[in-house]
Amino acid sequence: MKDLEAFLRENKPQVKEDPTFLLETQHRMEQVEGIKAEVDRQHRRGRVALVLALVVGLAIGVLATALAFLYPVDVESVGEGLWQSIRLFLQNYRQYLLLPVALLAILLGVVLSRKPVLQ
Amino acid sequence: MTRERFIEEVRRQQEPLRRFLLALCGGNDALADDIAQDALVRAYVASGSFLGLSKFSTWLFRIAYNCYIDHCRKARPEQVSVEEAVILPADDATDAGFRYQQLYQALDRLPEKEKAAIALFYFEDRSIKEISAILDMPQGTVKYQLSMGRNHLKQHIQL
Repeated sequence: MKDLEAFLRENKPQVKEDPTFLLETQHRMEQVEGIKAEVDRQHRRGRVALVLALVVGLAIGVLATALAFLYPVDVESVGEGLWQSIRLFLQNYRQYLLLPVALLAILLGVVLSRKPVLQ
Repeated sequence: MTRERFIEEVRRQQEPLRRFLLALCGGNDALADDIAQDALVRAYVASGSFLGLSKFSTWLFRIAYNCYIDHCRKARPEQVSVEEAVILPADDATDAGFRYQQLYQALDRLPEKEKAAIALFYFEDRSIKEISAILDMPQGTVKYQLSMGRNHLKQHIQL
C-alpha cells in the first residue's frame, strides 16, 4: 500500500503550460458581464413599464370614476331587459368606449415588456 | 467579490484545478480545460453568493467537480475510452509516459467518487475535511472511498 501511495504522490498529473487559459477565462467573464448587463437593462425596462402602466391605469381609473359621478346613469331605466340596458349603457358612455381599449393596450404593453429576452 | 480579486484567485488556483480535472478526465487535457473554463464561468456568475465560509479553493473545486459530474451525465453515451483519450507525444514514450498512461487508465476504471477522492488526497494534498466539503459527503465516507480507491488501483497498477 505504501508503494501505491508513493507512486500516486510521485506521479501527479502534469498540467501543460497554457498562457491562453487565463485569457480565455477573462474573455468568457467579459461575455458573462455583457449578458448580466443586458439582463439588468431588460429588468429595468420591465420595471419602468410596470410603473408607467400602474400610473396610467390609476389615472384612467380616477378619470372614469369622476366621469361616472359627473354623468350618472338613469338607474330606473336599467331594469328594462338586457338589450335595453346595453343600449342605454352605450348611449350614456359611448364617449368613454376608448377606456377599455386603452386598458387592454396597457395590459398588452406590460405583458410584452415581461417577455424574456435571453433564453 | 470583485472581478479583479476573482481573477487573482483564479490565477492562483488554475493549476491545481486543471490538474484535478485532468486526473478525473483520464489525461484528456482539452476536455479537462473545457470543464475548468465552464467551472470558472459558473463560479464567476455565483461569486456574489460566496460568503467566505469555506476556502475559495474548496468552493471552486466543488463547482468544478459538479461541472465534471454534469459532463459525465451528458457525455455517457459517447464516452471516450482512456486509451483513445491519452495521446502521449512520441518523445514521451518513456518510463514516465508509460507510468502516466498506466495511472490514467487505472483511474479511469474507478467510480467517479473514488477517483475524485484519490485525486484530491494524493495529487492535491487536500485534507479529509476539505475533500468531504468538495465532494459533499461525510468524512467517514471519504475515508471509505479512499480505501476502496486504493484497493481498486492496486489491481490495475503494476508497481
